[in-house]
Amino acid sequence: MKGTQLGEFEEIVLLTIALLYDDAYGVAVVEALSERLERPMSLGVVHRTMQRLEEKGLVRSRFSEPIAERGGRSKRLFTITLAGEQSLQEARRIRNELWEAIPKTAFDHLT
Amino acid sequence: MNRKNKSYQDRQSEPPRWAERLLARITAPHIREETLGDLYELFQKRAQRYGYTQARLLYVLEMLLLLHPRLWRKQDQSIHLYPEPTSYLQPNPTAMLSNYVKIALRKLNRHKSYTLINVVSLSLGIACAILIFTLVKYHLSFDTFHANQDRIYRIYTELHTEKVTYSTGVPNPMGEAFKRGYNVAEEVGRIGFLKDRVVAVSPEKKFKEDVAFADPDFLRIFNFPLIEGSSQTALQDRNTALITDRIAKKYFGDKDPIGQLLHIDNSLVVKITGVLQNLPATTDFRTEIYLPFSNLQDHSPWMVEKDWWLGFNKEMQCFIRLKPNVSAAVVDSRILPAISDKYYDKENAKHFRFKLQPLSDVHFNPSLRGYTEKKNLWTFALIGFFLIVTACVNFINLATAQALGRSREIGVRKALGSQRGALFWQFITETALIAGIALVIALGLAYLAIPFVNRWFDIELILNPFTDTYLLTFLLGLLLIVIFCSGAYPGLILARFQPVLALKGKLSQRSIGGFSLRKGLVVTQFAISQLLIIGTLIITNQLRYSQLADMGFRKDAIVILPIPDNQKSKINTLGAQLSELAGVENVTFFDSPPATEFLASTGIRFDSRPKNESFNISYKTGDYQFVPTFKIPILAGRNLNPSDTVREYLLNETAVKSLGLASLHDVIGKPATINGKLGTIVGVMKDFHFKSFRTAIEPLCLTTRSEIYNSCGIKVNPANLEVTLAGFEKAWTAMYPSSVYTYRFLDEEIDRLYKLDNMLLRLIQAFAAIAIFVSCLGLYGLVSFMATQKTKEIGVRKVLGASTSGILWLFGKEFSRLLLVAFMLAAPLAWWIMDRWLTNFVYRIELGAGIFILAILITFLVALLTVGFQSMKAALMNPIKTLRTE
Repeated sequence: MKGTQLGEFEEIVLLTIALLYDDAYGVAVVEALSERLERPMSLGVVHRTMQRLEEKGLVRSRFSEPIAERGGRSKRLFTITLAGEQSLQEARRIRNELWEAIPKTAFDHLT
Repeated sequence: MNRKNKSYQDRQSEPPRWAERLLARITAPHIREETLGDLYELFQKRAQRYGYTQARLLYVLEMLLLLHPRLWRKQDQSIHLYPEPTSYLQPNPTAMLSNYVKIALRKLNRHKSYTLINVVSLSLGIACAILIFTLVKYHLSFDTFHANQDRIYRIYTELHTEKVTYSTGVPNPMGEAFKRGYNVAEEVGRIGFLKDRVVAVSPEKKFKEDVAFADPDFLRIFNFPLIEGSSQTALQDRNTALITDRIAKKYFGDKDPIGQLLHIDNSLVVKITGVLQNLPATTDFRTEIYLPFSNLQDHSPWMVEKDWWLGFNKEMQCFIRLKPNVSAAVVDSRILPAISDKYYDKENAKHFRFKLQPLSDVHFNPSLRGYTEKKNLWTFALIGFFLIVTACVNFINLATAQALGRSREIGVRKALGSQRGALFWQFITETALIAGIALVIALGLAYLAIPFVNRWFDIELILNPFTDTYLLTFLLGLLLIVIFCSGAYPGLILARFQPVLALKGKLSQRSIGGFSLRKGLVVTQFAISQLLIIGTLIITNQLRYSQLADMGFRKDAIVILPIPDNQKSKINTLGAQLSELAGVENVTFFDSPPATEFLASTGIRFDSRPKNESFNISYKTGDYQFVPTFKIPILAGRNLNPSDTVREYLLNETAVKSLGLASLHDVIGKPATINGKLGTIVGVMKDFHFKSFRTAIEPLCLTTRSEIYNSCGIKVNPANLEVTLAGFEKAWTAMYPSSVYTYRFLDEEIDRLYKLDNMLLRLIQAFAAIAIFVSCLGLYGLVSFMATQKTKEIGVRKVLGASTSGILWLFGKEFSRLLLVAFMLAAPLAWWIMDRWLTNFVYRIELGAGIFILAILITFLVALLTVGFQSMKAALMNPIKTLRTE
């Protein structure tokens, strides 16, 4: 397996998948991300990221029933795996540690 | 809204189709579904928000942003989390083959008699099939090597009188008239065939050869290439000749034949200007010496009387090659009738009709002197098919009977996971091995048999599967068919075994099923054998009837000599000389012996009737000794008086009847004009068969006309024949020093009328013998299996007091019943077929019960002999031996 290092964007996508919980698929993720990040997302970027996540074993996927609005095609629904949750926790811990390590005065001179 | 707008609307509400198609094509299969689905969903959502046009633009943009190696990269097996469990189950289709072959060889080695019976019967069947195939192909390939052969036709004559008679010949001016008057043929070639001419280099070196006088067009129509000389000038100049290489070798050895002189019948001297390649075996044009048509005038002027439209000779033929876009039907329906109308008066135009005969029909149309009918070829093909069926049936029977013995093997194989398909193919491999061996043996057999077949049929078959692609294809096809026909059923039976039952050894004869099918197969075999036996018997009887029957004249001990020169003085001298020889009883001169295959016929005008009769009368000439020599009874009036020209006529009974006269005596003394010559009818002959038994007796007249006598018939005393014949040769050679002496016996001559039938008979006899032998082999094998399977049953029966004859009956009754059923099938079929064959003969045997009874007796006897030995052995076995092991 390739490196389990979680990239920035990957982390965000993974978080969105966790957020959407039972309805995490391409279009839903794109829309959620565009809304929250307030910039347009391309489907291609999201797809490739989710494929990479699956290859790293952080998410697993299954197909839904065929849906008429999609021209009779299925959704690929992603769910986060245990490994996915762990790497999210890990990323969060690193961030938290970083935040805590920042000296209180670090931001003072900005104001 | 009209339809066009609506469909436009529909298209608007879909993503651009080209983009979707392109994407579907480049996207790797494992992500295609969701990619296309997501794009579609996005498109619909954007369409609601911004409208279709923008949504379509965004769709394309989105698609462009999707382009990335990831999109078309194939799914990586190693990183796939849930690999499908398929990779290790890919079977290797050939891995088991060597095992199959090994097992098959072992099995064949162990069951030697089984193998032997199968190989022998299959190879006999295949050998016959090969021979028949070669024979049929040989006949079908006659004259197919000419360029544009589908446009080559022979013009033939139909003479419409009371009935229609056909002739291969046409009136002499026909060729010219056709060529001049109508622009439909590329080439028109007249040709006159003359048989048995004396061709000499020197007075010592002379042989009898067939010669032909042909137009130069003839060589352009037919593909007989020259190896020496120029085809441009061939047959152009008078007194030149073309000969084949074979003839050149025969006459001139290694000398250069070009420029040499040949003497034809003392009347023509020709210079050889070209050498033709030897004729292929598959052509009906057997003449090897060709002379220019213009020379026919010098040789046989009577054949080319100018503008004589009223007569035709079967040897004066006319071949044409039509232009590519001319259809034969048009020529038949317009041009040839137009010729009839133009050159004949009204009355005769009705009688003389001309038609085109395609070249492909020449070999197969007996009414136009073709060699044989295609029907006969298909009969042979059918017989070949029967023989193959018989051999396959043997195989199926033995294999299914033997299947029981392999139940353990099948059980083990199934328990170890063999599937039905695998078991089936295993059995097919085994069959293929046997069939392959049989094919090789069959080829050898056929190769050995070819010389005999060639001698019987007087043909030149060649068997070489390596150069003959048709034969090779046939062999491969046959092999496949044999393998599948004989292997499929037993293979299915084997593959169907229940493994548990098979391992326990609890399979019985019944559980392998198909005993009724095997019975059916045995019945088929017997039916085929009986069909052939009945056919053989009937043909033999009919031919014996034809050859021994009283033809109405004396035919034994009559020698026939040819007369090359029928000058009055020569004939008289020769006749006198021959009569003086010891052992000679009568001498007569005539144009054709009492019975011939073909006889010219002509019109007759009787007494003072105003018109010709509506029937034609066959025309025979002979001197006053003809009737006494052949002992033809005179029923009324008297025999002909000696004369050299036409003065008196003898009619036969049928002719008198056709004239519509009540009493035979009514014709005596009346004048009649026959063939344009007036004469007096002096007597009535009893009807005799002047053609073969195939045709009914027709009206016939006999008259004296020495100018066309060409044979001499001598009744001899059979004692001291050698001396008498030597005397003939001396007298004859003295009279005709430049000719070649030959003699024949009349009865041999008559037998030749039935040549084809005799060949047919011999062939069917051979095939019947093989069919019977093959089915007996099968029967023998089947009984042996039955005997081994029933050993215990027989033992118990014997202990309980069964007699030997009772046990024999156990075997006998089964087979007798099958045989009777087969007979019920074969007899009506044989009756129907042979009845149709017999309709060819006007004088024929009746189909009596005797022949059928004889046929079933023969089959019974043969079956009894086959079954008898094995069942005897089984019945006589000591029951202690068979039961002790229990």
